[in-house]
Amino acid sequence: MKRTIELRLARVEGAVVRTLGLIERRGFSVTAITMRGDAAPESLVLRLEVTSEGRPFDVLLRQILRLIDVRAALLVEAQHGDARAAC
Amino acid sequence: MKGADILLRALREKGVDTVFGYPGGAIMPVYDALLGSGIRHVLVRHEQAAAFAADGYARVSSRPGVCMATYGPGATNLITGIANAYLDSVPMIAITGQVATPLMGTDAFQEVDIFGMTLPVVKHSYIARHVEDLPRIVNEAWQIATTGRPGPVLIDLPKNIAAGEAAVQTPSSWHGAPASSLDHTALGQAAALMATAQRPILYAGGGIGIGRALKTFRQFVLATGVPVVSTLKGLGSVPTDHPLFLGMMGMHGTRAANLAVQASDLLIVIGARFDDRATGKLDGFAPNARVIHLDIDPAEIGKLRRADVGISGELAAALESLQMTTAISAWRRHCLGLKARNAWRYDAPGNGIYVPELLRRLSSEADGELTLTCDVGQHQMWVAQHCLIRSPERHLTSGGLGAMGYGLPAAMGACLADPSRRAVAVTGDGSIMINIQELATVKRYGLPVKILLIDNQALGMVRQWQELFFERRFSEVDLSDNPDFVQVARSFGIEGLCVESRDQVGEAIDALLHHPGALLVHCRIDPAENVWPLVPPGHTNATMLEGTTP
Repeated sequence: MKRTIELRLARVEGAVVRTLGLIERRGFSVTAITMRGDAAPESLVLRLEVTSEGRPFDVLLRQILRLIDVRAALLVEAQHGDARAAC
Repeated sequence: MKGADILLRALREKGVDTVFGYPGGAIMPVYDALLGSGIRHVLVRHEQAAAFAADGYARVSSRPGVCMATYGPGATNLITGIANAYLDSVPMIAITGQVATPLMGTDAFQEVDIFGMTLPVVKHSYIARHVEDLPRIVNEAWQIATTGRPGPVLIDLPKNIAAGEAAVQTPSSWHGAPASSLDHTALGQAAALMATAQRPILYAGGGIGIGRALKTFRQFVLATGVPVVSTLKGLGSVPTDHPLFLGMMGMHGTRAANLAVQASDLLIVIGARFDDRATGKLDGFAPNARVIHLDIDPAEIGKLRRADVGISGELAAALESLQMTTAISAWRRHCLGLKARNAWRYDAPGNGIYVPELLRRLSSEADGELTLTCDVGQHQMWVAQHCLIRSPERHLTSGGLGAMGYGLPAAMGACLADPSRRAVAVTGDGSIMINIQELATVKRYGLPVKILLIDNQALGMVRQWQELFFERRFSEVDLSDNPDFVQVARSFGIEGLCVESRDQVGEAIDALLHHPGALLVHCRIDPAENVWPLVPPGHTNATMLEGTTP
């Protein structure tokens, strides 16, 4: 299963590698990444394509949200092309 | 003011009075500032022990333990202890020296990326890049370590930041995790499940003690009358001699606990995470049970077992909301019958020391008032099965990581956190050798730690698995060339006593309970002794192997 996740992170040392590492350690694969600055100061926006062989994405999102540097995490509903807040 | 002084002042303002560590190059400015700082530094003999001692200190005091080490090997030696704290949700601040910022990334002498190495095993971490950030970093690290699900926070401190000066301080930008309110719809659904359940079980995890929900949980047990099982870390959530306590569940759990869970129609899981050692084969675990899962950490809900109702938040508040009476007298009688029919027997044949009986007597004669720290292996399971444990902070064990070498330094931390306690480190002849150098620390600080060393001249749990699951092909488990442990203890200035027959057990217990200072009791047992019952790997908890005493 492939899903798109959009994350807003604090722009601080280690935030990106910490988040990507968590996703991979929890058994998901990151297959594409785009990153940009955010309108909010000191923030980064990551858009990730993530695949999983059956692990639940809602649990992954809650694990990502435990990270101190993560401000928001969304699952993007790819079939409709719109982003919906999942957490 | 120098960075090192700012760091220590910030720690003192948090109430830190004890730090465990080992000095070296990059952390030297902090060690210089320690002199006259008012903070007691405990010099361990290996950095891993600093982290384990800080862990023990934290579990007893419910305050973060603080450990520190220099860069390079000092920092990497901390990692096992940091991982232990992460997996067992223990609040900890780990401070590491680092090369000066201009040298970072140049492969300087003893430079390692400890920030990167520890990312998977910390709740959060910092590299201090500016002296003026240090108060903010310490303040945030403390909040992060202690709020929500506790855990370790690393502060990597470059040498030029520790030695540098600053007059101003940056404000904190992190204001803590938002307080989560309980989901009242979910609470209502949980109450409805409880009201209709015929065979409910309370599945008590380590989160009850960590979340300071002990009193509420015990009131909940009393009000509902639901039988209780626990995980390894949940032991003591109710006293282990409580009438409704069926025992630890899982791989080395009691028959009563495992059979009751498998037969239940509702599991009320409180502060636990469905660890594989507790559940056995997950898809056959409690196959007919619906699940109410309460945890401070929302990421645990549904991670391994789907929850019919998941409630994330403070456990005490959730339990207060769910208190009710139940009409399950037939089920309760059934569970208590299971417990009675499968009660432990202590009448092992022979004259050798039977460890389950030794541990039962030791903890009972102390009326459950010992602080027991464990290493990892057979002795760890015997402690969990047979000791009287009255509260979780009286049983310090490496649950998630299963780290041999934890017991002795954890006992040191426990003694320093609360000198009024009697700490007994129960260890094995394999485990003791992982951090045996800490006998020097015990001696130096006059810590009255008692060590009960169960010696079967083998890596016993590995040997047991090789016997049962590898066709008795014993590979690298023989420790029959162990040193004379009593002589080892005496060489560190610690009294020792060796016992090997059943008629010496009383003498051993008396010494462990009443010897005024540190003491090592070397207890030689039959090398063929195994831990029972045992759920074989890949099986459900309904399959419990039972053996006999050799």
